[in-house]
Amino acid sequence: MSEEFRPDILGIFCRWCSYSAADLAGVSRMKMPPTTKVVRVMCSSRADPVFALGALLIGADGVLVAGCAPGDCHYKTGNYQTRRRYALVEKIFDTLGLDNRRLKLVWIPASEGAKVKRVVTAMTESLQEAGPNPTRAEMFI
Amino acid sequence: MKGINLKSDDANAAARGLLARGMEAGLWDAALVPARVPAGDSYAWLLLRDAAALERTTPLPPVMSVSGARALYKLARHGTARRVVAVLRPCEVRAAVELYKREQLPLDDIFLISMDCPGAVPLKDYVEDPEAGEELFGKMLAGVEEPGREICRSCDHFSHTASDLHLGTLGVPEGNVVVVPASAAGEAAAEKLGLGDAGPVAEWEAEVEKRNASRREAKEEAHRALREEAAGPERLAATLGRCIGCHGCRSVCPICFCRQCYFESEALKVPAANVFARAERKGAARLPADTFLFHLGRMAHISLSCVSCGACEDACPVQIPVAQLFGLVAANTQSLFDYEAGRDRAEAVPTTYYREEELAYLSEPYVEARAPEGVGADG
Amino acid sequence: MAKAALMEGSNADLAARDLLKSLLSSGKVRGVMTLVETGPAGEVNYELVADVAALENATPLYPLMPANAGGLLSRLTVLEGFEEPVAAFLRPCELRAFVELGKLHQVNAENILLISATCGGVYPLRASLNGGLADGLPAYWEAVANGEAAEGLRPTCSACEHFVPFGADLVLAAVGSGGAGRLAVVARTPRGDEALEGLEGAAGEAEVETAGVKSLREKRGAARAELFETEPLPAPGLEGLVAFFGRCVGCRSCRSVCPICCCEICYFDAAATEPTPRTFDVHLKRKEGTRVPPDTLLFHLGRLTHMSASCVGCGMCADACPVYVPVATLFAKVGAETQALFEYVPGKDPEEEVPLQRFEEEELAEVGEERFGS
Repeated sequence: MSEEFRPDILGIFCRWCSYSAADLAGVSRMKMPPTTKVVRVMCSSRADPVFALGALLIGADGVLVAGCAPGDCHYKTGNYQTRRRYALVEKIFDTLGLDNRRLKLVWIPASEGAKVKRVVTAMTESLQEAGPNPTRAEMFI
Repeated sequence: MKGINLKSDDANAAARGLLARGMEAGLWDAALVPARVPAGDSYAWLLLRDAAALERTTPLPPVMSVSGARALYKLARHGTARRVVAVLRPCEVRAAVELYKREQLPLDDIFLISMDCPGAVPLKDYVEDPEAGEELFGKMLAGVEEPGREICRSCDHFSHTASDLHLGTLGVPEGNVVVVPASAAGEAAAEKLGLGDAGPVAEWEAEVEKRNASRREAKEEAHRALREEAAGPERLAATLGRCIGCHGCRSVCPICFCRQCYFESEALKVPAANVFARAERKGAARLPADTFLFHLGRMAHISLSCVSCGACEDACPVQIPVAQLFGLVAANTQSLFDYEAGRDRAEAVPTTYYREEELAYLSEPYVEARAPEGVGADG
Repeated sequence: MAKAALMEGSNADLAARDLLKSLLSSGKVRGVMTLVETGPAGEVNYELVADVAALENATPLYPLMPANAGGLLSRLTVLEGFEEPVAAFLRPCELRAFVELGKLHQVNAENILLISATCGGVYPLRASLNGGLADGLPAYWEAVANGEAAEGLRPTCSACEHFVPFGADLVLAAVGSGGAGRLAVVARTPRGDEALEGLEGAAGEAEVETAGVKSLREKRGAARAELFETEPLPAPGLEGLVAFFGRCVGCRSCRSVCPICCCEICYFDAAATEPTPRTFDVHLKRKEGTRVPPDTLLFHLGRLTHMSASCVGCGMCADACPVYVPVATLFAKVGAETQALFEYVPGKDPEEEVPLQRFEEEELAEVGEERFGS
């Protein structure tokens, strides 16, 4: 894919860790590709995979769900549930031959602004390689 | 009636051309039209914004995979961000009008185009053998084959209806399509599009009337036969007996707009002991317990607005002639109020008003009660 | 070997009927839920029968599923269970659905004697229309008795490996019973023992796992592998899904008849997900056209994420599809994968929670790690 392709990524970040980290990255003026629009949720477990599917099916190139690392969930167990759900969706994607590069779950602790930069950059690059989401052009969805 | 001649060999091409011209003239920004799905085994509704994309559409497809009224309802029940034109079959227009009257579909900013309808091919037959379906539909269009769906064979509302523009093909000499404005918006549009001279409207009207007369006969005959086959408690129970309770008929019905249907609500859940008591009284109770209530109840709820589009029958996995049953019942409930679903946007749905001096027979002592002529109390 | 009653009957269906009759007439139960033949052309329906005379037409193992009886029994008992003892005859997949629904708090199981059987599979609903099944029934019963795979069954039945019920108080050993005209009803629980006591039919000992069960299991396994590898499943990727679901009419009957989909208002029917004028405007900004009603794929993929871990592969969804999308095959295949992920067999163990209601701290460590690139 040519360098001009700038993927559209929906970020769904938990309010406690990941969003704070994103904030930190911003305050620290870290440079990263302007690809990711972040929606803040109280916990990554609020992000029903169906939200991500919906975004991908209307043409988002990728969805990045981020939460506190296992053991650090503000609500004790939310992110363990998130992990099960996204493991399940990953399996569904594999079985149906859908591109797993487009849907990612990562843990980003509050202090790790650098990880936000790393993850957004890596996902952007991997989606540049993957190319635009075919759902962008498909009418019969 | 006045009409304008649109030179075209084929109704689909005429409709596509009209849509594109209207889009270029700024009459509408988006068109809701069916198109064949990529696998070629059915048609689906597309909302399109470019005149060029209209090339792939089939305004009058062989099947009614989804009622156009339901598609329009899903698209526009909360209004639309763009001015939309929709090309519908006459029964779909009538269903849309019913939704409008029931305050579920604002039609004021939607431009409706209808077309003379040769009927539809049964959906199941089509998906199993699309090429055979296309061939049959070609013959139906040419008038050499009766409609594939039973319900279409007794349809006497296959032509002009409460749309804005109607495209008439029946009885007109080859190479012509009559465009009949059917509303003020339709007339304004026809003028703006600068559509040609007066077309062969008289021929078209004569053919429509002729075909209508034979369809009315077919309908009477179909209703007589259906009464014999399915009316009366036992025969009705036998006809509905294989229902599996999927409620697909309701889901695809353009009129059934309730998000939470009464028949799927908590109201119909009962303790097991209740059903057990029924079983003890009768020896056995059918499960699910409310199959007949569902169908009869739906007749009570929507038969006044039933347009006999046949979507329910296409959706039935066990081939119950549910559209025909509803058609029979609807003919009687609608005639009771001298009402015809979808005829006129200004005509209120009968259950939304009353007159003090009406239905007097209902207050007579039961033994003397006589239903008005034509209201079937038989069987 | 377990305690069993040996029933006379030229086929498993007749033996099952006799079992139900003696349970009801002996007063051990006051009602029986079973399939009953209700029409002259082989129409069958589930009924709750209280009068033993009405069991004359019972056909507990008729190879057709007009509904998933596990779902029916849940709907019947979700408010309050039975006050009187009732027997329910369920196929293994129906029983698994019932157990799964119990975990989802949709069941009051008290006073129900659960009876099941080793299952020879059922035919597609559409094959039964207009009396289409009658001629093939003798061959079907013969195949069941011999542990053979009957011809023309639903694809998901031909490929079902869970045709031996988990749980159940009583199990009729239908598969591989041989041609002797004697069928064993095996008690698996104290309640089952009690039910068998003093019933007609010789007391004895028998096993559900007959040689026929073993050979059928092998055949089913091979059929399963083949089914999941061949058409008409969608080709990988978006294009395949669009082709597979393109003809979907959005009736959602697949969901209505699904025993697992027990939500009063489905997420995909909820006001929150209803398209607005803006929805379509956004779509048209991105591409020249969009499907109406929207979200056909979202509905099916969404349902896979919501329920595939509990899918019992009963096949009702495909039977109910008016445009013959082989949706049950797809759900069975995806279900097999998602269930394997959690080492979960839906409906097997009533004590085991459904996968999305539980978690372990030490699991799935790779999920959530930085794994980008192809």
